[in-house]
Amino acid sequence: MGVGLDWGTVLVAALAYLSALFAIAHWADRRAAAGRSVIASPTIFALSLAVYCTTWTFYGSVGRAATLGIGFLPVYLGPTLLMLLAPLLLRKILRIAKTQRITSIADFLSRRYGHSPLLGGLVALTATVGVTPYIALQLKAVAVSFDALTGGGLETTHALFLDQGFLIAAVMALFAIVFGARQIDAAEHHPGMVAAIALESLVKLVAFLAVGIFVVWGLHGGLDSLFAAAAARPDLARLFGGDIALEGAASGVWVTTTILSAAAMLCLPRQFQVMVIESVDERQLDRAVWLFPLYLLLINLFVLPVALSGLMTFGGRVDPDLFVVALPLHGGAEWLALLAFLGGLSAAAGMIVVETVALSTMLCNDLVVPVLLRFRPAALARSADPAPLLLMVRRVAIVAILLFGYGYYRLAGSAYALVSIGLISFAAVAQFAPALIGGLYWRGATRRGAVAGVAAGALVWAYTLLLPSFARSGWLPASFIADGPWSIAALRPYALFGLEGWDPLAHALFWSALANIGTYVGLSLFDRPDAAERAQAAAFVDVFEPATTAVSQASPADWRNAASVGDLTRVVARFLGPQRAEQAFAGADPDEAAGPERLRLAERLLAGAIGGASARVALASSVSAGAVEAAELLRMLDETSDVIAHSRQLELKTAELERATDALRAANERLTELDRLKDDFLSTVTHELRTPLTSIRALSEILHDDPELEPEQRQEFLAVVIKESERLTRLINQVLDMAKIEAGALDWRIEAIDPALLLTQAVAATEALFLERGIVLSVDIPGNLPPVRGDEDRVIQVVVNLLSNAAKFTPTGGRTRLEAKLDGDTLRITVIDSGPGVARKDRNIVFERFRQAGDTLTGKPAGTGLGLAIAKRIVEHLGGRIGVEDAPAGLDAESGKGAAFWFTLPLAEAEAPQGAAG
Amino acid sequence: MSAPARDEQPAPRRRERMAGLFLLASVLFSPPLLGLFGVEGTVLGVPALYAGVFGVWAVVILLAALAGRSR
Repeated sequence: MGVGLDWGTVLVAALAYLSALFAIAHWADRRAAAGRSVIASPTIFALSLAVYCTTWTFYGSVGRAATLGIGFLPVYLGPTLLMLLAPLLLRKILRIAKTQRITSIADFLSRRYGHSPLLGGLVALTATVGVTPYIALQLKAVAVSFDALTGGGLETTHALFLDQGFLIAAVMALFAIVFGARQIDAAEHHPGMVAAIALESLVKLVAFLAVGIFVVWGLHGGLDSLFAAAAARPDLARLFGGDIALEGAASGVWVTTTILSAAAMLCLPRQFQVMVIESVDERQLDRAVWLFPLYLLLINLFVLPVALSGLMTFGGRVDPDLFVVALPLHGGAEWLALLAFLGGLSAAAGMIVVETVALSTMLCNDLVVPVLLRFRPAALARSADPAPLLLMVRRVAIVAILLFGYGYYRLAGSAYALVSIGLISFAAVAQFAPALIGGLYWRGATRRGAVAGVAAGALVWAYTLLLPSFARSGWLPASFIADGPWSIAALRPYALFGLEGWDPLAHALFWSALANIGTYVGLSLFDRPDAAERAQAAAFVDVFEPATTAVSQASPADWRNAASVGDLTRVVARFLGPQRAEQAFAGADPDEAAGPERLRLAERLLAGAIGGASARVALASSVSAGAVEAAELLRMLDETSDVIAHSRQLELKTAELERATDALRAANERLTELDRLKDDFLSTVTHELRTPLTSIRALSEILHDDPELEPEQRQEFLAVVIKESERLTRLINQVLDMAKIEAGALDWRIEAIDPALLLTQAVAATEALFLERGIVLSVDIPGNLPPVRGDEDRVIQVVVNLLSNAAKFTPTGGRTRLEAKLDGDTLRITVIDSGPGVARKDRNIVFERFRQAGDTLTGKPAGTGLGLAIAKRIVEHLGGRIGVEDAPAGLDAESGKGAAFWFTLPLAEAEAPQGAAG
Repeated sequence: MSAPARDEQPAPRRRERMAGLFLLASVLFSPPLLGLFGVEGTVLGVPALYAGVFGVWAVVILLAALAGRSR
């Protein structure tokens, strides 16, 4: 191997590159603050996903290819398969994460299973234990590649804590703190970090492709000659045959690795961070679906050629993991070696930064804060703004994780435990996959099932992969693997319960998946989730449904009992301010069950501010375990907007219904009134009929029983009988007329008629009446009145009615006058009397059937009450109007009062031109 | 926070195509099928298995891109 580059140059180049990353991140943060975030670009998003490719890819793939041939590929085929599921699976996760404001995968699982702090903490812990050694691997890769590049120059000059590993850890801690934990952002977006990751992804791809092209065409003159040379050596030829990667036990490894890497693509804290948390728009996935797999394909294109070339060039002298740096160096292309080193540095830096930020968020939100809340609530309550405390926790977590990783690197060095950590980490985080995916589609999955599943899976993982890796590193006796603990053969970690002949990874995956999924499904099936869990389950499973059943899931019966006074105070304070909440629930113990009365109070208070439906939702959500978050509440409110829209429609319909009901009620009242009128009419008519009948009968009996009656007396009685009979006939005629008019069965003979003639006839018909009562009837009819349209008999009937009405009400000695005069195109006929007149309020009533002005109860009615009603109907049928007003002054000075009944008739101009008649 | 738009879920046709592609790719990436490429011989100087695996992979990516493009 060549001398290598001066370590100072490499160090300066590395620091310059990292500074450039800082600058890019800073620039991206500034742009995002200005509202033009670069991370909205789908290409940047796809590139940031490539944080998946760590040094394990950049250096390690070549190492794996050197022993497994194409066996290194499943690690990249798995993510490709997962991305094909993006429209189904990832879309849903992204939507949920956005609506629920998820901050990490631990948070996601905890929320799905009813805000379980236990599950969140378990996931955070498992992820930290499983992934931190992976960080150590990155530190080691940078250190080793640095040595390879510089020829190990620095190794001799540094003290214990001043090696490259520590240096890179320190710089990464700084970067993670500056760009990953500068502020508590509700959305947890880190545009600077993502932009830097995307750039790093580009750098490592370009670096690897450059190295590949240099090796293939620069060192070997093309792919065919490279493969031809390799094919000549049997030990290398087998690397591109199928048997070492695809057959026998290797096929199990292939499948296992594919599944594990697909799960890791989803569940690794850093992948969840860039793919879900940092995603600003779901549609970014559409491009990532093919762009990210394409990236994976490209970065792996030259892995096998580089491995073959390295094996041919160096034999066994150089670790295959370092071929990427060693080959350019060997070929004299030092700048290319430096680029390769920077590519590896990019891979390491990206992984370390995102992983520590994701883990620190998780540790802070799902482990430290819940613990603080439980044991030191005063520390959180004291500060009005908990953000600085949270930031401090996160920064300490970042430093702690990196120190832990560095310590592991120093301790483990080149031990198996470190070298194999890549897939072991995958297997650890894969334990989250059943609860994660199951929680998206299976409403019945419960918290206890998820906690037990993840715990069981993690324990089996630790027993079948982590502990054996310690044993192979020499930290546990080797007999642990060979004979099992305490020499119990059934407990051998690589052959649990005698399952032999499997690859350790496939073996671990089988048992951990069995324990995990079995416990998860089994417990869930026999578990009863509480209301909060059911609400969250519905919110996750039905995230795409227009109106989720989240609200109805938590039925009142469930949450009424679950709410405490503290819950109510919190939710009321959120909408109405703490003061109102304090007033409303003063003097009550916050932990006390709220009870229906306080709930109704809270509901009423909230309904006043946000409406009834929202108030119920707010209350329902206040019961979920732990603090209710505004985002969640808002989401549920969004959902209830549909409910509100429905209730608006309902209100409209109710209003319509009310109007219809009003109309019905009015109609009913009218009917009742008519019914009453009919009864009145019957009693009136009966009365009217009985009076003449009584006198007729009485007189007839007298005449019949007493033949000796004086002839004059007899004559007089007979006259009365005749008169009363006439009255009866008249009454019956009127009733019949009225009935006919009402039924529309009257025969109308409408024609042009001479008003003077019919008025004269009417006067003649009633003259006797006036004479009899001693009333002076004067008639004032102009000579040349034009003809009017009407039915002669009916009009006469009207005039007779009015005249006899006047005769009835005018006192003896009074006066009545009949007038007719032209009024526009109508003839106005008026009957003026000097009677008591009609009070203003009665002027409409008198024209109704059976209604007579005055008190019908005390006084005997003077008529049938049908005369005016019949007159009104006739006049209106003929197209005229009828009314009553005060009599003009001058008719009778004595009474000074009187009524003037008038009606109009249309002139018969069309049929008989004006003046034709006379 | 605005109410999430309800029509943003990918078109059903596309989701179905991608699900179909996922199943196809799962089969294509399985050892028995890839093993069919493990024959002697080369494609343009590249061993058949190596070319075959990358070829299948590239086709899957191409189909994924097409599935997203055409409606």
